[in-house]
Amino acid sequence: MSAYIFRRIFQSLLLILGVLVLVFFMVRLTGDPVALMVSREATNEQREAMRVALGLDRPLIVQFGDYMGGVLTGNLGQSLSLGLPNATLIGQRLPATFELALTSLIVALALSIPLGVLGGMHPGSPVDWLGRTVGLAGQTIHSVWLSMILILIFAVQLRWLPSFGRDGWESLILPTIALSLGSIGQLVRLARSTVLEVRRENFVRTAHAKGMSGQRVAFSHIAPNVAIPLISVIGIGFTYSLGGSVYIESVFSWPGLGSLLSNAIGDSDFPLVQSITIFIALFAITINLVTDILYGVFDPRIRQR
Amino acid sequence: MLRKLLIVVGIALLAVLPVQAQDAPMLVISLANDPTSLFPPRGADITAGNAASPLYDTLVTYDVDGNIVPELAESWEISEDGTVYTFVLRQGVTFHNGETFNADAVIATWETGSDDSNDYAQDYQVATSVEAVDEYTVQITTDGPKPLFMNQLTGWGIVPPAYIREVGIDAFEQAPVGAGPFRFVERIAGDRIVYEAFEDYWQEGLPLVGGVTFRIIPEPTTRLAAIQTGEIDIANRLSIDEAALLEGSDAVTLVSYPNDRVYYVAFKNIGNGEGSPLLDERVRQALNYAVNRQGIIDGIFGGGASLVDSFIISTNLGHNPEIQPYAYDPERASALLAEAGFADGFAISMGCPTDAYLSINEVCLAVQRDLGAIGIDLTVEFKTSNSFWSEAEYGAVGPMYVDSWSSGTGEALGRLEGALVPGNYYNTWHDDTITDLINQISVTVDRDERAALYSEIQTYMHENPPFIYLYAPQIFEATSASIEGYAPRANEGYDLTNVSKAG
Repeated sequence: MSAYIFRRIFQSLLLILGVLVLVFFMVRLTGDPVALMVSREATNEQREAMRVALGLDRPLIVQFGDYMGGVLTGNLGQSLSLGLPNATLIGQRLPATFELALTSLIVALALSIPLGVLGGMHPGSPVDWLGRTVGLAGQTIHSVWLSMILILIFAVQLRWLPSFGRDGWESLILPTIALSLGSIGQLVRLARSTVLEVRRENFVRTAHAKGMSGQRVAFSHIAPNVAIPLISVIGIGFTYSLGGSVYIESVFSWPGLGSLLSNAIGDSDFPLVQSITIFIALFAITINLVTDILYGVFDPRIRQR
Repeated sequence: MLRKLLIVVGIALLAVLPVQAQDAPMLVISLANDPTSLFPPRGADITAGNAASPLYDTLVTYDVDGNIVPELAESWEISEDGTVYTFVLRQGVTFHNGETFNADAVIATWETGSDDSNDYAQDYQVATSVEAVDEYTVQITTDGPKPLFMNQLTGWGIVPPAYIREVGIDAFEQAPVGAGPFRFVERIAGDRIVYEAFEDYWQEGLPLVGGVTFRIIPEPTTRLAAIQTGEIDIANRLSIDEAALLEGSDAVTLVSYPNDRVYYVAFKNIGNGEGSPLLDERVRQALNYAVNRQGIIDGIFGGGASLVDSFIISTNLGHNPEIQPYAYDPERASALLAEAGFADGFAISMGCPTDAYLSINEVCLAVQRDLGAIGIDLTVEFKTSNSFWSEAEYGAVGPMYVDSWSSGTGEALGRLEGALVPGNYYNTWHDDTITDLINQISVTVDRDERAALYSEIQTYMHENPPFIYLYAPQIFEATSASIEGYAPRANEGYDLTNVSKAG
């Protein structure tokens, strides 16, 4: 078991290193932040002074070393456009993003697990039909388009809900629907196919053959085996929500990490883009690691691979 | 780091959003992005300027028509040589923190504004000294004659001297204090900025609303939804398409006004423009005749833009109305090309900042089609705005490129200097006559003499065009029907002092 955990941790560290390198060089392809920071009439001397002040005149490899050193010592640097430490900015925006991502995850799980499991237990039934329709819709409807339609119907036409912002629970409803629909689609299909698969396993047939009631087979043989893959899906669902929040937060003016990131990209704010991307990547990698380890704990078959 | 974040998360999850009770209604205004700073020397771009301006009063300000009028200065005198400005200051003005406004406040504003850490320090460093003559008289000396200095002063938000000297600029930015009609209450990053009416404002009975809340709404369609539902009162900088969606709505008043921004296709005679056919002025005239600008305005902007005859638009100082925009005349264009020895046309490329401006891609393609009609094989190079503007002298594109340049001063000097004085970062055209005229304008303090020079450069630039002049757009703004007393301005600034809101 511990060999398995160490292997997974080592793989995660490699992945993090890859993300750091990729992020550093990719944001530098997006342009010169100084051009966007000073007024257009600024002279060449003023531009050069700003470049020196920001450390952008140094060779790329020196900047990279500086950046890696900062990341390793927990110093994420300072935003170019907002003039505050990146850690502070991320801290300010994190609660809003977590609120939205968690709510979406809970809604997605509460709807998709029952639909998927019931559909898998009774293929071809009306519940299964509903589940498959929802699954298909969730995977094909684009969340940004859905957001705009939701705003037009529920905010502009019906005036039931606010069209933007974060002002109490009413304003959480529309972004939650928009953000969770994609996960719902994925989760319903996954839960359904897992149940179908487990139902075909030999041990289930054996349980039926030895005269166990259908209900007991479902709870003591099928449920534990369905639960295992779902653990990892919950982790994936949460990181998926974080990623999706970049679009959804911008549409709904939700003051979270996602809207901060899209602003930072627009401003060529290298340090801030790097910090947010690294933060989200670290978060996703950690969640994956934890779910993988849990997976191993619950399913002895995995450890042996 | 992570632990710190977790603590922050914990606290924030527990916190309940504060709700403020106000007697007079709050004005709610959308901003397209989170302002960089509420301290004017660090946030002088339009969004930050709009957000910060209700906090500060300035020595002089613009009226609705763009004229410079007194605010915290009651009167002023300018020395013969145009370098020494003496202001008599208003008495009985207090800052939000109770400090009294006097000459020392102007000195502190200049000192902190000139700090090299500020993005817009150059707007303050233009003054070489600021001295108190007595408590309510201040003398400002500029580095040579600066005709636009009074315009620059409209951006000097006056700050309380004791407070800013005590806490420093970084802390001031987080809790800004001024002598304006509204005082700072709170700022929630990425979400909102809240001000309340300042009860001791020096103009009795003003402001008329209980406060102002700026809401940050990056997505244009969401801004449109929010103005229709009444969640916001003012939505600015709408495109003609967006404005069209609001037509016929009872809850919304739609206004349009001309923006002081010229769109043009620039030519290079340096860098990759050296030796190109563009060096011949007949070719440049031909290109101006070849583009169907009225077609672009009608077809792409639904009529929401006007023709320009030069770099000086009709509302700018010194504009000569007798000069007419180039007509659409492809035959004349072909004749001029033939005269210049390019009867069969030539191949050239043109940069296009694909995400920078409204409908700019369509404009680039229209130019390509029109120039194609007189035999010019134009390649359009689409670039994102960042890479388009990243290189000095537009090194990434050319020898032609589409661009625009705005002005907030009512005069064309800023864009003339930026685009046409050699050595500047975005200069790509060297013409000694133009440079000489601009250098004269930039040291002529007398307004009438300056106006005459502008007319002269307008005439010259019309006959020797360094650009294909395209159009100046209209800007659309939507206000909710419940507000009164709001007038949009060509420089896109806000004056909310006299705005009232029903209910």
